[in-house]
Amino acid sequence: MREMFSEILVQAAKANPNLYLLTGDHGYALFDKLRQECPDRFINSGVAEQNMIGVAAGLSKLGMTPVIYGLSAFIPIRVLEQIKIDFCYENLPCILIGDGAGVVYSYLGSSHQSTEDIACLRAVPNIRILSPADKYELKACFELALTAKAPVYLRFGKADLEDIHSQQPQVQWGKPISIKKGRSDLAIFATGSMVAPAVRLVAEHYKDACLYSVPFIKPMDVAEITEILKAKKNVIVIEEHSVLEDLVLRWLKLQLRWRVGRE
Amino acid sequence: MIKTDAFNARNLRKTVLDMAFSGSTVHIPCAFSLIEIMAVLYRDHLMVGESAMDPNRDFLALSKGHGVMAQYACLYELGWLNETDVRNYFADGTRLKGLSDAHVGGLEVTSGSLGHGLSVGVGLALGCKLKKTKQQVYAIVGDGECNEGAIWEALLFASHWKLDNLCVIVDANGYQAMGPTDQVMNLSDLGAKFKAFGFDTVVVDGHDEKQLNKSFEDFKTSKNGRPKAVVANTIKGKGVSFMEGDNTWHYTRLSPTTYQSALKELGF
Repeated sequence: MREMFSEILVQAAKANPNLYLLTGDHGYALFDKLRQECPDRFINSGVAEQNMIGVAAGLSKLGMTPVIYGLSAFIPIRVLEQIKIDFCYENLPCILIGDGAGVVYSYLGSSHQSTEDIACLRAVPNIRILSPADKYELKACFELALTAKAPVYLRFGKADLEDIHSQQPQVQWGKPISIKKGRSDLAIFATGSMVAPAVRLVAEHYKDACLYSVPFIKPMDVAEITEILKAKKNVIVIEEHSVLEDLVLRWLKLQLRWRVGRE
Repeated sequence: MIKTDAFNARNLRKTVLDMAFSGSTVHIPCAFSLIEIMAVLYRDHLMVGESAMDPNRDFLALSKGHGVMAQYACLYELGWLNETDVRNYFADGTRLKGLSDAHVGGLEVTSGSLGHGLSVGVGLALGCKLKKTKQQVYAIVGDGECNEGAIWEALLFASHWKLDNLCVIVDANGYQAMGPTDQVMNLSDLGAKFKAFGFDTVVVDGHDEKQLNKSFEDFKTSKNGRPKAVVANTIKGKGVSFMEGDNTWHYTRLSPTTYQSALKELGF
């Protein structure tokens, strides 16, 4: 997935002379190809994330396309206010990349564990939150993000090394992607790095369940998801994120709304 | 640049008083400390262009958003704000807020939460360099605002990227929300700090238009790879004796009596 990111970044930089990658001294070899092929588009902002977001907002105001890379424990969490005020309040376009989302870096310590990013950002107006499951979804999401004319947060974790798709899927803002259809009463929704384990879960234990990948956390097509929920009695949601304010809660609210509506 | 006689500190202060009185709002002294800086910039240096969104304009990022009434007063002189905007300041349904807001044409950054505007200004300066334009970027920060770590991140970055199209102006009025800066969080020698961060730095009397003019002239002509800093020593509440040096006016609203007294002191 990271190799794919490196490749699509270089492609995008070549296609758009106004695209700049900013990093807070993170990424190490990830940007070797970009630095080799488009050296003037690489801006290492140093270990100073607050300033990096403001600088990127300045570039965006001039019509440039900033892609801002960091570990998701820092981008967006450390700079939530900069994202809110410098980008989202004015709806300035940018792509924020939060790498290492979830518990993948937890072995380093709690500072690098990142299980709050979705919850924190979801409340901020204008920003879109994407969580691709594999390199093909990443490419599709990144291409969509480039057309968004809005701030976009793209989260990915290191754990998601397996491919879910064999080619780039069709994606539409807000729509879950059907990975497997099934006739039982169970629907499984997974996002990001948890789609691959969900595929195994279905193969081993819930052969008749249907499975969806959810690359769009925000916006989310409520109508479509409600339709799926109507047809299923049981729902499992799997994501690498805190349960305190996550997809599960969102789903429960949707279900509740639907049930109240039905009565 | 707006060469009119009306564009002077006295008139700008009056507009601030009119706005603050009609809106029954606070933050008058931190706008007053900025007046000469704003007047000199708008009158003699800033290429404002035909409209607020002119792509070739110079940028003025007011990072200390609490002083926004000083900038509104300039926009009023430019004709980008009108009499109704001034008279209905803070009224329900109107667009001007008490802190700098980039949705208002002429205001480049949304600030008030401190330490944001300078970084955005640095980004504008970097962008102008990358695009190879001749535009200049001015960013005004408060001395109290310099408590924020983000300010120092931005200075490091500006220096590292050799942004000599950036001029950071410190409105050093010596006060912040809860008291004198040297008692709340001592900044000691601000000029020395900016120098240490790689800025060509001058320390001036922030109410002396000649000194300010020269500083900005030097900034525009000296393109040597180093960003510029103007540490402007100012008086919070400058122009109205009972506001000068009395930090309670940071939070005090004008009554009809104090409004009239203030106008009188300004010669109206």
